[in-house]
Amino acid sequence: MSSREDILQSIRRNTQVRYERPDLSSLEKEAVTYPDKVRQFCEMMKLMGGRAIVVEKGDDVNEIVRRQYPDARRIASNLKAVVCGGKEQPLTCATFHPDDVENPGELDGTDLAIVDGQVGVCENGAVWVRQDVEQRAVYFISEALVLVLDRKNLVNNMHEAYKRIDTGEYGYGVFISGPSKTADIEQALVMGAHGARDVTVLLV
Amino acid sequence: MSTKHSKNAEKFLQNKEMVKWHDQTLWMVRAKRDNMSRELPEWEHLRDMASAIKMYSNSHLDLLLQEFERNAHANGAHVYWAKDADEYCSIVYNILHAHSVKRFIKSKSMLAEECGLNEYLEEKGVEVVESDLGERILQLMHKKPSHIVMPAIHIKKEEIGELFVKEMGTEPGNNDQTYLTHAARRNLRRKFIEAEAAMTGANFAVASTGECVVCTNEGNADMGTSQPKLQITAFGMEKIVPDRESLGVFTRLLARSGTGQPITTYTSHYRKPRKGGELHIIIVDNGRSRILADKDHVMTLNCLRCGACMNTCPVYRRSGGYSYTYFIPGPIGINLGMLKASLHYFDNVSACSLCYSCQNVCPVKVDLADQIYRWRQKLDGLSVASSSKKIISGGMKTLMEHPHLFNFALRNASLVNGLPGWMVYNGLNDWGKEHDMPKFAKESFNEMWKKNKVK
Repeated sequence: MSSREDILQSIRRNTQVRYERPDLSSLEKEAVTYPDKVRQFCEMMKLMGGRAIVVEKGDDVNEIVRRQYPDARRIASNLKAVVCGGKEQPLTCATFHPDDVENPGELDGTDLAIVDGQVGVCENGAVWVRQDVEQRAVYFISEALVLVLDRKNLVNNMHEAYKRIDTGEYGYGVFISGPSKTADIEQALVMGAHGARDVTVLLV
Repeated sequence: MSTKHSKNAEKFLQNKEMVKWHDQTLWMVRAKRDNMSRELPEWEHLRDMASAIKMYSNSHLDLLLQEFERNAHANGAHVYWAKDADEYCSIVYNILHAHSVKRFIKSKSMLAEECGLNEYLEEKGVEVVESDLGERILQLMHKKPSHIVMPAIHIKKEEIGELFVKEMGTEPGNNDQTYLTHAARRNLRRKFIEAEAAMTGANFAVASTGECVVCTNEGNADMGTSQPKLQITAFGMEKIVPDRESLGVFTRLLARSGTGQPITTYTSHYRKPRKGGELHIIIVDNGRSRILADKDHVMTLNCLRCGACMNTCPVYRRSGGYSYTYFIPGPIGINLGMLKASLHYFDNVSACSLCYSCQNVCPVKVDLADQIYRWRQKLDGLSVASSSKKIISGGMKTLMEHPHLFNFALRNASLVNGLPGWMVYNGLNDWGKEHDMPKFAKESFNEMWKKNKVK
C-alpha cells in the first residue's frame, strides 16, 4: 500500500470527534476599521520601517521617485505609466524591464524596482503584489522597492484583503509590509536582511 | 530528583549576565505581543475562531489533504506523502538527485529540524545552505536552534563577529549588528544565485487553492524560490487550513503573537511552479496522525509554531532552549516531546511552574499547561516519576489526612526560620536552590482563627 493510503487510513482510524466549521462572519463584521484609511496606512508604513507618500493631483511621479532615490542608477519596472488622479503619467525614470534579463541572478545590483500593488491593508501596512513579470526575483533582489497603489484599494484588515486578492496567471502573490528585516543578532533590528532595504508606497 | 532539564539549566545559570539578558529580552517580546493584542478589540474573538478553525481542519484532515492534493495537481505541482522522517528525507534527496543538484538553499523549517534533513543530505554529498540569518549562524557554528522563531537568541554578537571574520571576511573586532547582518546579506546573495534548488517549509497550506503560504521577515524564502527554478515545499499535515478566509484569521494572529509585529514583512503565496520550473510539495505525517487519537493531547496539533509560549514562560526564559532535551523547547516542546517518545523526553515535564501564562497567550488556544499537568499524572504509570517527589507527596498525603499531625507540623514550622543556612540550603533541599526559602509564619491561620484574631 502506498504511503498516501497508509496516512489517509491512519487519519481516518484515529480521528475522534469531527468538529464543525466555525462561522467567521461575526468576527469579520467586528474586525477593526479606520475612519481615515489613508492616514492609518501611512502611519502603519512608518511603524513597519517604510514610508507612504500620498501623490496629489498635479504631482510628477517620476520626480517623486528621483527625489526619494537620487543615487539609483539601475531602475527596473514593467509599468509604462502610472494613473494618478484620473490622469495617466508615463513612467520615464525606469531604465529597464525586469524581464529583459535571461537569468534572475542578473537582477542583482538593481538599485530600485517600481512595481504595481493591488491591495493595501491599513491594519498592518501590507501591500498585495500579484506577480506580473516573469522574474519575480525583482521584488526581492532590488536594493529598494517602490510600490504603486491606488488609494481606492486600501482595505481595513486582512479579512477584507483576502476577499480581494488572487495569484493570477503566474500563480504567485505576496503581501509585502515594509523593508526586509531581521533581529537575529541579539534582537537588534536591522533593515535589509535579504530583500529591499528601503520601501516606499506611492498612494496614487 | 534532578532532571536533565534542571542539570542543563544549572549550566545556563552560571552566566548570570546572559540569563538576565535572555530573560528580559524575551519578556520584552512578550510585552510587544501584549501591545499588539490590545490594539484589536476583537483579539479574543480572533483567538477563539483560530482555535475553532484548527479543531475543524485537524478533525477533517483526510478530506482537506485530498482537496489540497487535487488543487495542487491542477496547479501543476507534484505532491508526495511521507509517513515518517526517513521517507521525507529520501523524497527530498531523490528530487535533488534526479536534477543533479549539488547546491541547495533552504529557508527555516522546523519540520526539517524534526526530521534531520540537513544531516541526511550532507551525508549524501549535497551542500545545504540555511538562508535565515539566525539559522545560518548556527549552521556555521555547528549548533542547534534554542528557540523556534529566534533560533540564535542564545548567541552573543561577539561570537558572531568572530565567526564572520573566518567565514565572511569581516573586519576583526567589528561586532556591530548592522555591519554583520549586511555582510551576511552579501555572502548569502551569492549562495542564492548559485543554488540549483530552493526549499521552504510552510506556515499554512490552503486546501481550497492548493497553495502554500510562507511568512518571513528577511525575505529569504522568496530570494531562494525566485532564483533556481526547482522548488521544494514540505509541511507537517496539521498546517492545512480550509481556505483563504481562514488565512485572514491566522495572518492577523501569527506575527502579533510571536514577535509582536502586526504582520511579517513577507507573506508569500506559492500556488504554481515558475514558468519552465517545477514545484514539489511533500505532505508529512511523522507521528501526527497518531496524535489524533489522543484526546488529552490532540490540541497540540493546533500549534502555529509562533513561539509565544516560550517568550512568556518563566522557566524557559531563565533556563534557555538547550536545557530541554527535545529539539523544540518551552511549553509546546514539553508536550510535543512527550508525544514523540515519553520515555525519552519525560525530563522536560518538570520544567513548568503551572503558571498557565502559555495557555493564556497561545493564539490557537492549545491547552499547554493542562497537558503538562496531565503528563505529570502519567509519570508514575510510565515508571519515571521522581522517587524523592513520591516520598514527599506520600508524606504530604499522610499529613493532610491526619489533622493532629498537620497542626503539630504547622506549629513547629517556624523553627526552620531560625536554623543556620547550611541546614536549610544544601543538596538535600531542592527548593533552596537558586532562590530563598519562604519564611514560615509564627502562628498558623488556624490558630489565629481560634484566637479570634481573624477579622
